[in-house]
Amino acid sequence: MPRIFDNINGNSLDLSLDKSDVITIVITNSNFNIHYELSDGDYKFLIFNNSDSELSLNEEGTIRNSNVEINYFDLNDAKLIHKNNIEVYYGSNLTINSTYLGTNTKNIEFNLFNKERDSAISISNNVVCLNDADFSLTVSGKIEKGSKRSKCFQKSRCLTFENPKKAKILPVLLIDENDVEASHSLSSGTIDENVLFYMNSRGLSKNDALKLLLVSYLMPNEEFYSAFEDGLKIKKIADRKVEKICMM
Amino acid sequence: MANVLEIKDLHVNAGDKEILKGLNMIVKEGEIHAIMGPNGNGKSTLLQTIMGNPAYTVTSGSITFNGEDVLAMPVDVRSKKGLFLALQYPQEISGVTNSDFLRAAINARNEKPLSLFKFIKEIDKGIKELKMKEDLAHRFVNDGFSGGEKKRNEILQMMMLKPYIAMLDEIDSGLDVDAIKLVSDAIIKLKEETNMGLMVVSHYERFFTSIKPTHAHVIVDGKVVVEGDSELVLKIDQDGYDWLYEELKIEPVKENKPMVYSLGTCARNKRA
Repeated sequence: MPRIFDNINGNSLDLSLDKSDVITIVITNSNFNIHYELSDGDYKFLIFNNSDSELSLNEEGTIRNSNVEINYFDLNDAKLIHKNNIEVYYGSNLTINSTYLGTNTKNIEFNLFNKERDSAISISNNVVCLNDADFSLTVSGKIEKGSKRSKCFQKSRCLTFENPKKAKILPVLLIDENDVEASHSLSSGTIDENVLFYMNSRGLSKNDALKLLLVSYLMPNEEFYSAFEDGLKIKKIADRKVEKICMM
Repeated sequence: MANVLEIKDLHVNAGDKEILKGLNMIVKEGEIHAIMGPNGNGKSTLLQTIMGNPAYTVTSGSITFNGEDVLAMPVDVRSKKGLFLALQYPQEISGVTNSDFLRAAINARNEKPLSLFKFIKEIDKGIKELKMKEDLAHRFVNDGFSGGEKKRNEILQMMMLKPYIAMLDEIDSGLDVDAIKLVSDAIIKLKEETNMGLMVVSHYERFFTSIKPTHAHVIVDGKVVVEGDSELVLKIDQDGYDWLYEELKIEPVKENKPMVYSLGTCARNKRA
């Protein structure tokens, strides 16, 4: 059964989870630390920033012989500093999906380590930066010596509007082993004129087209909504944000 | 009232270069117009201009649809009025699924939104008819599609949007023989159902044989230099364009192909 960690007392959460756990962590504090050690199971997280004020989030995790999916969701207007270090050991798969709306200063640093052989990491980031955004996301994937047959894939998309203060995404791969698979891709920029023409030529106005594109960046897929306790709440938040941006 | 698209003395620039130099054409519903001509002489420019691609500037002339000034309409309004362009190189829209895209496009032109049930029924029918992959509705628009899949997806969109005048820009390129037959059958079926008019750019007589054009136009240097019917298509397929250049004493625009320079190789095979 999906569980939800909401209204957490204190500034830290030490997760002790059952095997095959699906959890939602709703952050409402301004300083928060998350620590987890996952092994021998399938886990799904949603880490959802519902704090209206500035947030500093530190996350430390280790994953052993497990399949783990972590979803980060932050469409808040407040400042965010997020740093994570996740170590992935033998026989583990880590999938990360992150969604950010850049409206203020957001500084995010993912440090992902393939610590042992046959470990796999895949991260996909979707970012929309509005004009006042000062956004920075660094994704460092490090495949350590001895991590044979490991994988590390990074994919980032950033939609910007006319003149963001800063929209910086830095994909980094540090590879210290030969027998591995790794890649990174990044696309960043305003809406492509050719794409806009194509969408217009099917009868979608500029606003309709913008809405569809924003939804593709900010809204997770249908599976996500049914997997998490707060999935529909997030859909409503994303809906409201999309409407608000389209009105701007 | 019959749907009529009328192009009068159309002059169009791409940047500083004049591409169309006084082009005239009338397309009515139920008609199939084959648009032919050598590469780089204005066929795609004509279709893109009718649809309103901002890369092209109309310097003079007019385009009207049922008497309304098309050039004054934004692109989305042209589509809602019943014009459709199947692109030679359809765009990829990562993150937007085909079903979301098409449903939004259909709902944008209807007062009442199409029910999900009806939409699924219709898209499934189209997917089967065009023998596309069953998961197409859930895939991102043209993202990771092969050339042939992209072209079929354009036809699927046309089938769903049911335009009054459809413009197909080299829709047959990238399709194998079987796919050409599938696509042309779907076009003819839709034409019979809706009586839409068609403007079809292609270089292949095989495709024109399948869709049986009622009119044919050859565009050279931005103008229609000769008009006819399916016999003209056949003659051009057999004899090319040279006889036209000689007869009319005209020169086609030579397509500007980018120069390719070799920077040499950084490794050399040393085997004897």
